[in-house]
Amino acid sequence: MAEKKVLVVDDEIHIVYVAAIKLRNNGYEVVTATNGAEAFELACAEKPDIIVTDFQMPVMTGLEFVEKIRQNEETKDIPVILLTARSFAISKEQEQDLQISGCLSKPFSPRELLENIEDILYQRAVVNREA
Amino acid sequence: MLRGLCGKKLGAVGLKFRRDLYVIVTGIVAVSLFIGALAGWLDAGTEEGWRFAGYVQRAPLVLVCYVVGAVGVIWLGWYWLKLAGGTTSIARRLKKETADCRLSIADCKSKIGNRKSKISKVDKLSEAIAERIDSYSSVIGELEKQIEDLQIQIQLTQRQKRNIEAIIYSIRDAVIVIDEFDRLLMANEAAGRLFNFDFRSSQRKPIDELVFSEEGDAGKNEFVDFLRQSRQSKVRATRREIEFSGARTFDCIVSCVYDERGQICGVVAVLHDITREKEISQMKNDFVSQVSHELKTPLASISAYSEMLLDGEAKDGRMRKEFYSVIQSQAQRLNRLIEDILNTSRIESGLIKVERAPLSLAILIEEQLQMIKSYAEEKNIEIIAQKPIVFNQVYADKDMISQVIVNLLSNAVKYTPGGGSIKIETEVDETADIARVSITDTGVGIPEDEIEHVFDKFYRVGANESCAKGTGLGLNLVKQIIEKVHDGRVFVASEPGVGSTFGFELPLATRGAVEAVV
Repeated sequence: MAEKKVLVVDDEIHIVYVAAIKLRNNGYEVVTATNGAEAFELACAEKPDIIVTDFQMPVMTGLEFVEKIRQNEETKDIPVILLTARSFAISKEQEQDLQISGCLSKPFSPRELLENIEDILYQRAVVNREA
Repeated sequence: MLRGLCGKKLGAVGLKFRRDLYVIVTGIVAVSLFIGALAGWLDAGTEEGWRFAGYVQRAPLVLVCYVVGAVGVIWLGWYWLKLAGGTTSIARRLKKETADCRLSIADCKSKIGNRKSKISKVDKLSEAIAERIDSYSSVIGELEKQIEDLQIQIQLTQRQKRNIEAIIYSIRDAVIVIDEFDRLLMANEAAGRLFNFDFRSSQRKPIDELVFSEEGDAGKNEFVDFLRQSRQSKVRATRREIEFSGARTFDCIVSCVYDERGQICGVVAVLHDITREKEISQMKNDFVSQVSHELKTPLASISAYSEMLLDGEAKDGRMRKEFYSVIQSQAQRLNRLIEDILNTSRIESGLIKVERAPLSLAILIEEQLQMIKSYAEEKNIEIIAQKPIVFNQVYADKDMISQVIVNLLSNAVKYTPGGGSIKIETEVDETADIARVSITDTGVGIPEDEIEHVFDKFYRVGANESCAKGTGLGLNLVKQIIEKVHDGRVFVASEPGVGSTFGFELPLATRGAVEAVV
C-alpha cells in the first residue's frame, strides 16, 4: 500500500521535526514547511493526503493557508488538522466553514497526533469506498 | 371766645344803652321843663301861680318851652316806650343772646367735652398706636435680622453653588443634569466638548436637541434614549457602555434624582471615557493570549520530545542526544521568556537588584552575537560588527545590558527577511559623555505612526505581526533597563521597506559616576 503523505506546517522547527519523526517512524511520508505561503506551494505540488498546520505563523497564518487551499480546486478536499496554542482560537462555525477535521492544543502529544491522522484517513477511506 | 362774643354783644348793647341814656336824660330835662311850666300854669290860681303863669302867658319863650316841653314829653314818652321796648328787646336780646351764649357756652362746653373725649380717645389711640409701633418695631427688627440671616444664607448658598459648579465644571468626566421634562439643567465643559454644545448657555433646552446627532452618531442617539428610559423606568442608578463615533467608548452612569415627595425631579448622567482602559484591557488580553502561546511553544517541544523518548522513537544514541538537546534548549527558552516577564514587572515596581560593574559594550555585543549567530545563519542574514575599541566604557549591570543586546539583536534577525544584513556599531562620544550602540537592519521597517509606540509594553507593530512572533515585551524591557535603571536613552529610526536602526546610549563610566555609586 502506498504511503500516505502528510504535510506538516509549523514555524517552530522542533515541532515540525518531532512530528515528522513520529509520522515517518509509523510509515508516513512527510513534507514540511515553516510558513503558510511555502505550505500552499507544497500542497499544490505534493497533494498530500492530510495537512497538519500550526494556527499562528509568520507570512501567512494557518487560517489563511487553509482558506487558500479550500479555494483551490486541487487541494480543496484535503483534510486539515489544526495545531494551536490558544484556547478558543477558532470558533465552531469557522471549523465547519473551513472543513477543519481536527484541532489539537499545544503542547500536543505526537502519539495523539498520529491517532488523529489515522482516524481521519480511515474515515476518509470509508467514505470514498462507499462513494 | 364765648365770653368775648357775649362780651361783644353785651358791649354793643351797653353802647346802645349809653346812647339811649343820653336821650333819656335829654328827655327828662325836657319833660322837667314842661312839667315846670305846666305846674306854673296849674298854680295860676294861686298868686304865685299866676305870676308864673303870667310869665308864661307873657313870654313866647315860655310858650316855646311849653311846646318844646310838650313835644319833648311826647317824644320822650314815645322814646321811652321805644327805649323800654328797645330795652326790653335789648334785655330780651341780651337774655336771648345770653341764653344763646349760654347755649353756645354749653355747646362749646359739650363740644369741648366731646373734643376732650375725642382727644382722650386720640390720646389712647396714640398710646395704642405707639405701643403697636413699638411692638412692630421689635418685629421689624427681628424680620430685619432674619432678612440679614437669609441674605447671608443666600450668599453662602450661592457660594456653595458656585463651588459645586466649579467642581463639576472641572471634572474630566462629562456631567449632564436634566429635569423631569428632559430639559438640560446643568452640564460641564467636558459634556459641552463631547456633545458639541455651549454648556453655559444651553440651560432649559431639550436634551435631544442638544445631543441628538444628525450625522448618524448612533452612540449619541443611544445616550439620549438611555436617559429617557432611565427616567421613565425610575431606576435609582444604572450604567451602560456606549460607543460614540471615533471609536470612543464611554461608561455612562445614570441616576434618577428624587424630591422630598419621592417624585423624580431630574436625572444625572456621568460619562467616563473608558476608551483607553478598554484598549489596555484588550492589550492585556492580547498579551495574556500571546504569552500563553509563547510559553506553550517551548513547552510543546519539551513535551513532544519527552514523549518520543519514552515511546522509543529515538532510534539511536545520536537521535536521543538530539532530543535531549532540544528539550534542554526549549526549557532554557521557556525560562528566558518567564524571566523577561518577571524582569519587566520587577523593574516597573522598582524591586530589581542591580549589580553594576565596569564593562565593555563591544565585548558584550560580541558575546551575544555568538548566541544568535545560528539563528541568523538559518535565515542567511549577514552580521557586520565592529571590533571593540574601548574597554570598560560603562558602569552597568552586565546581565541586564546583555539582555538588552540580545533583545535588539534577536529582533533585528526576526524582522529581517532572508538574505538581509545587520550592522552593529559602538562609539564613544566624550563630548556628551556617553557610549552609544546602534543596530541597523535591512528589515521590514516600522510605519511612522507606530514608531513612538514600539517601546510600549505589549505593543506590537500591526503590519509586522505576521512576520514574527513576539510578546511585545522585548523592547519595553530594553527601555526599562536602559532608561529607568541606568539613566540612559533608547532611540529608533525606521523606514518601511528599507530597515530600522535601534540603539541605546549609556553614561560613560567616569570616576565620579563610579564613586557616586560605590
